[in-house]
Amino acid sequence: MIAETTPAERRRTSKKAEIVAPRQGFRLPKPIRRLQRQAPFLALQAAGELSTRLRTLTGREVIDMNRVMEVAQFIYQQRELARRGPNYEVDDFGFDPQFTESFLPIFKSLYRDYWRVELAGVEHVPSSGRALLVANHAGVLPWDGAMIKTAVLTEHSHPRHVRALVASQFMGMPALSWFLRRTGQAVGHPEDTRKLLERDELVLVFPEGTRGTGKGFQQRYRLRRFGRGGFAATAIRARAPIIPISVVGSEEIYPMLGDLRPVARLLGLPYFPVTPFWPWLGPLGMIPLPSKWRIQFHPPVEVEQFPPSAAEDQHRVMLLADHVRDTIQRGIYDNLKLRRGVFL
Amino acid sequence: MTPNRVLVTGVSNPLGAEVARRLASQVPYLFGCDVADPVSALEEMDFVHADTRLSVIGKLVRQLHIDTVVHLAVMVDSPHDERSIHETNVIGTMNLLVGCAAPSSPVRKLVVKSSQAVYGAGPLDPSFFAEDMTNWERVASGVTRDLLEMEQLVSEYAVRNEACEVTVLRLGYRVSEDTSLARYLSLPIVPTFAGFDPRLQLLHEDDAAEAIIRSVMGAHPGVFNVAGAGVVLLSQAIAIMGGRATPILPPYGRWLSRLGLKLLAGVDLPSHLADMIAFGSVMDCSRSEGEFQWAPAFGSRQTMEALARGKQVELIEAPSPPQEYELQLYLQQRRRRERQLTSGQN
Repeated sequence: MIAETTPAERRRTSKKAEIVAPRQGFRLPKPIRRLQRQAPFLALQAAGELSTRLRTLTGREVIDMNRVMEVAQFIYQQRELARRGPNYEVDDFGFDPQFTESFLPIFKSLYRDYWRVELAGVEHVPSSGRALLVANHAGVLPWDGAMIKTAVLTEHSHPRHVRALVASQFMGMPALSWFLRRTGQAVGHPEDTRKLLERDELVLVFPEGTRGTGKGFQQRYRLRRFGRGGFAATAIRARAPIIPISVVGSEEIYPMLGDLRPVARLLGLPYFPVTPFWPWLGPLGMIPLPSKWRIQFHPPVEVEQFPPSAAEDQHRVMLLADHVRDTIQRGIYDNLKLRRGVFL
Repeated sequence: MTPNRVLVTGVSNPLGAEVARRLASQVPYLFGCDVADPVSALEEMDFVHADTRLSVIGKLVRQLHIDTVVHLAVMVDSPHDERSIHETNVIGTMNLLVGCAAPSSPVRKLVVKSSQAVYGAGPLDPSFFAEDMTNWERVASGVTRDLLEMEQLVSEYAVRNEACEVTVLRLGYRVSEDTSLARYLSLPIVPTFAGFDPRLQLLHEDDAAEAIIRSVMGAHPGVFNVAGAGVVLLSQAIAIMGGRATPILPPYGRWLSRLGLKLLAGVDLPSHLADMIAFGSVMDCSRSEGEFQWAPAFGSRQTMEALARGKQVELIEAPSPPQEYELQLYLQQRRRRERQLTSGQN
């Protein structure tokens, strides 16, 4: 994830630390300051010792040091981010790779421990060059997008950032707008998709949009309409292969029992969900349920057989879109059969 | 067609002065007009006090046999009130076009300065604005609407007068010393909208002048976006200027935030800029780069760093004291008289 550099490169690009005059005023005594400085290392050492003791005592892994190191790494990376000031580059879409990767420990533990994602066919994602990833969309909040991004970034032989397309209404919301942009998302506009594909990026699109995330629990695993097949036309124009993705498990994280339309309209949201826990438990109701997930990447659908002029032909575009939709739907049924239980 | 007799409107603003200074050595006859006195007198330029808001501008164009008009009297980020901005941008352009459109008019080229503000900024926008993405539904902002009206007048003129090459340059937001955007970004504590950190795209004054010169000297009819490469985040821009971003403005109720900024920080941010620092605005400049075979030398980030270094002050000539202006006028007249005498002898 961290870009590889040679020692010579590091020597060339590194900067000498600035000499800062010591701050006047009250300072803690030197031994205490030394202790402060060493506290993180001492804490890690102590945790390591405790872990070995407990392992020898109980014969089981009680404290997993890998997890502890991940937490430490996360804290360290956040401090590094704060330290770089304005000296970082974002691309034209506002994507900041270092910022995005600093959140990886959190999403990795969600991916591995909470939802226990079982992945299949990630090798179908090309290790270089453009591709359009098309997935089903479910769950009230777009955790499925985050998990697909995590899957490609951690499990692929060539880790890559996936750039998801977001409905433009979310880009106007405070906090969400900058977080989505910083982590590499773009607006679901044909021009944005084209630009990203021309830069040979992996673009993730949910053709169902909010119709998919906002559907009721009794409708689970039934794909909604795939828009007007705009994603297929864009893929044909950009000559990008389409990789269908079936996600199973995202439907159960928030079982949506109802939709308060008037409240949604008042707040400017596409829907206002009612689940067994939301809004009754307040913020606690936003915690997703730990369902068992399966993500399957299907073999790419090549668009070579479609000439660029086919993008204007609504009939051929819809044929391609329907083919992709059928693949995803079939994948969902296959994976549902493979799953032993909702939470197992 | 090489420009022969060039009229620059709005020559007293810093960008106009810079354009006139660069044009002076390249064209045989240069005329400038504005309401205010120019900051420094140019020997090669004839300056006329003329207000584009009055129909006198049409007479000026006809009487001087102007063949190239560079229309820079368009206000985007200025401290004037909204009414006078509307008068200048829409009525002023209309008067100028009436002057250029007269039958048997010698005007063969028209370069109009527009702005990135023509796209406005909103939550539902795509990440990049191409030239055909102007949005008439966005009526809230005064300047955006004025610029849309102005560009429509210009495009109607271009359709009716096929003999005249019309170039519209949508220049990116500029942060020279006198813009309110620059004043906002250089506050020590910068209030920003809570939960927003938009992408800004900026254009250096030097590149703005260069783009105008290129469209005057070459033949590039059409509408073009011109702005620096890349983007700079608002938080980065503030940090580069050495300020501290404080997200205290509420994300809703734009006018309240503008009032607060005016009262507390003394920065009167126009409404289109208030939208811009919430949602950001980035243009797709590939068309202009292809047409001009040239890209701005300063990217958005470098523009910000240049402002932080105070380099932008040096590019624009410092205003000369009044007596020096008088002196230059005298020298100009004297040189003309000498030229007339020598031509009389020949």
